[in-house]
Amino acid sequence: MSNLAKLTSIDRRWIFLLIGLGTLIPVLLPIGFPVRVTAPVKQIYDKIETLGPNDVVVLSYDYGPTTGAENDPMTDAILRHCFSHDVKVIALALYPLGGLTSLTASIDRITAEFPDLEYGVDYVNLGYKDGGQATMKLLAEDFSGAFPNDTHGTPLSNLPLMQQVKGARNAQFAISVATGIFGEWWANLINAQYGLPIAVGCTAVSAPKYYAYLEAGQMLGLIGGLKGASEYEQLVKDNYPNTREAYANPMLQTASKGMDVQTIDHLIIIAFIVIGNLAYFADRRAKRA
Amino acid sequence: MEYFDSSRLNALVLLVLFCVFVLAFIQRARSGGNLFIRRIAGLNAIEEAVGRATELGKKVLYVPGIMSIDENQTIASLAVLSHVAGLTARYGAELDVPNKDPLTFASARETVKEAYLHAGRPDLYSDTMVHYVTYDQFAYTAAVSGTMVREKPAANFLIGSFYAESLLLAETGQASGAIQIAGTAEVAQLPFFVCACDYTLIGEELYAAGAYLSREPAMLGSIKGQDWTKAAVALVIVLGAIFESIHIFPGLKSWIGIN
Amino acid sequence: MFLKVRLPILLTFFAGLIPIVAFFFKDGTPYVKTLSSSLEQDMVIVSGFALLLGVVNVVQGNVRKIERREKGWFYAIVLLAGMAFMGLFGAAGAMRLFGLPGIGMMADGRPTPFQWGSLYLFTPLQATMFALLAFYIASAAFRAFRIRNVEATILLVAAVFVMLGRIPIGEPLFGPITEWMMQVPNGAAQRGIIIGAALGAASLSLRVILGIERSYLGLDKSE
Repeated sequence: MSNLAKLTSIDRRWIFLLIGLGTLIPVLLPIGFPVRVTAPVKQIYDKIETLGPNDVVVLSYDYGPTTGAENDPMTDAILRHCFSHDVKVIALALYPLGGLTSLTASIDRITAEFPDLEYGVDYVNLGYKDGGQATMKLLAEDFSGAFPNDTHGTPLSNLPLMQQVKGARNAQFAISVATGIFGEWWANLINAQYGLPIAVGCTAVSAPKYYAYLEAGQMLGLIGGLKGASEYEQLVKDNYPNTREAYANPMLQTASKGMDVQTIDHLIIIAFIVIGNLAYFADRRAKRA
Repeated sequence: MEYFDSSRLNALVLLVLFCVFVLAFIQRARSGGNLFIRRIAGLNAIEEAVGRATELGKKVLYVPGIMSIDENQTIASLAVLSHVAGLTARYGAELDVPNKDPLTFASARETVKEAYLHAGRPDLYSDTMVHYVTYDQFAYTAAVSGTMVREKPAANFLIGSFYAESLLLAETGQASGAIQIAGTAEVAQLPFFVCACDYTLIGEELYAAGAYLSREPAMLGSIKGQDWTKAAVALVIVLGAIFESIHIFPGLKSWIGIN
Repeated sequence: MFLKVRLPILLTFFAGLIPIVAFFFKDGTPYVKTLSSSLEQDMVIVSGFALLLGVVNVVQGNVRKIERREKGWFYAIVLLAGMAFMGLFGAAGAMRLFGLPGIGMMADGRPTPFQWGSLYLFTPLQATMFALLAFYIASAAFRAFRIRNVEATILLVAAVFVMLGRIPIGEPLFGPITEWMMQVPNGAAQRGIIIGAALGAASLSLRVILGIERSYLGLDKSE
């Protein structure tokens, strides 16, 4: 067997090593590739641009720290956009670990950049509620059915913003930043049954599935994986100069920086696919001979 | 009638049509009608996988997905689990069913216990076969992957509702050398299972699995009814595409003589 | 017989039928909508309590492992200790018992014990597990994408186009192709599978509601 043919049975740990290096090096030495915005992401941005100061966006943190690297930049960029554009936000979590680690951490992080915001008037953090689809149907009708109090224990009746909208169906737009099936539930339950425009931010792995919903008009837009998140970041940075300072922070791990890693890793995988095929043909030729 | 939501009339029509097809075929099957169901390779391979585990003296690992019992894929998976547990009981192979959801765990335990009882081997059943691990998706994945690496089951069944953990489990199982049969209706996870498993039940094959394995006429009848509804839906889609095309392209209207 | 077989099947029948009927009625319809809504609330409560069942099983299983000194029994101690730490500080913290300051951040910006465990133990472990996907996708792609036949070649070419279209250096050329591939061929295939699976799920639901499919109750068809 030739050396090339032997590569068909290469120890997978070599692949792991190269992927590890391809991830580590761009994190330490950022490259800064340019980002081009695609239509599914732009549609979400444009929808928020059409909203006014009294309009409300429901932002659901349907993910946990597991997929935070992909999902956190999405929620951060959406919050920066909403707050910069003076749109009100009701944030909640339907994923078990989304409440404390993702939702509260994200709200605390972003609201610190907007000192003029008033809690209960400009935004509300409802926290996490178990129950999946059942909870989603409840909150579509009436937030207080699913969340009697906000995450700080304040009854919703004491929060001015919650007097403005009874249920999610009364909001102007809902975005689910999701892992797993949550985005589909928003499309199937909230959009299909109540007609509320919805959009989904999902991990790259789930993105192909959501294109069917996007094309069918059940979703207004889609932020697919780190690439989509970097596009949204780019739109916010380009159009709201007040956000540029936050994105310029070298310690902030943004989706745009993550695209360096994705670029190198994709190229490594493609290289391995090419090598794998050359080895496969060499092996076949050797066997025939 | 004032309370009826007329905007959902189309859904009601489809629901009635669907129920009529399913119930008619169930009736036909019960009255002895012959119903052909195509061969599903993944389900035919179950016995071979359990047999291999028995010969090697290794365990059979059954993962019923990560969702609760309100998810149809989980119910479909439990129907397959019932069959697999029946086989492990007959062959005397060791079965391990780790669970992520507590309600699925309770149902899976009853399913396995019943299967061992039905196979006439309640002596082989133990409560430790079906156990609870954790409610967290990736802690569960770590635990199941650990079992695959340490105990090297001869057969892995990954059947039910899976998300980001699908490839982690399937690749670990592939590396451990187990024969793997997977099944899910989660379209985003199907490519991962197809790449890393020996057999994959795709979408509706999973839902049909219980009926296919049990060969019970009423169950098979419902599959046939479902197929007829699918044909009706396909016909409506084709007609819709034709009408929409005529509407979009005015040239088509004049070509076929419509004003 | 009634409690084990007929009652669960009757409950399933009504619990399955009520939301379907409610779907076709307008908001504010008396009885139907209220009943459906209260069923949804019950589901939230039941799923919360069901978690206790799992916790009991985990404790039982791991205590047994430690008692019998089974292989890896030490890890069972780590698991129980972790569960006790997060469980106690989580439950007692949320209810602010024993002077605990809650489960989020404290007023001075320091994390509560539960938050500390979440941020500095749990979150990195979680992210590590998900990050493994990148490595496994690479090894699976290396093994699976071979030019064996026409179908495998199409799969390979599509994969390479999408990977190039999703990175800045390949985007100018492959970006529009990728978007088209995702929206048209991928969208068509996904819809086909989704429609088939949805009908399969509906068929299974009907079998469950009518009591034909009962394996999830641990019942045999003859019962």
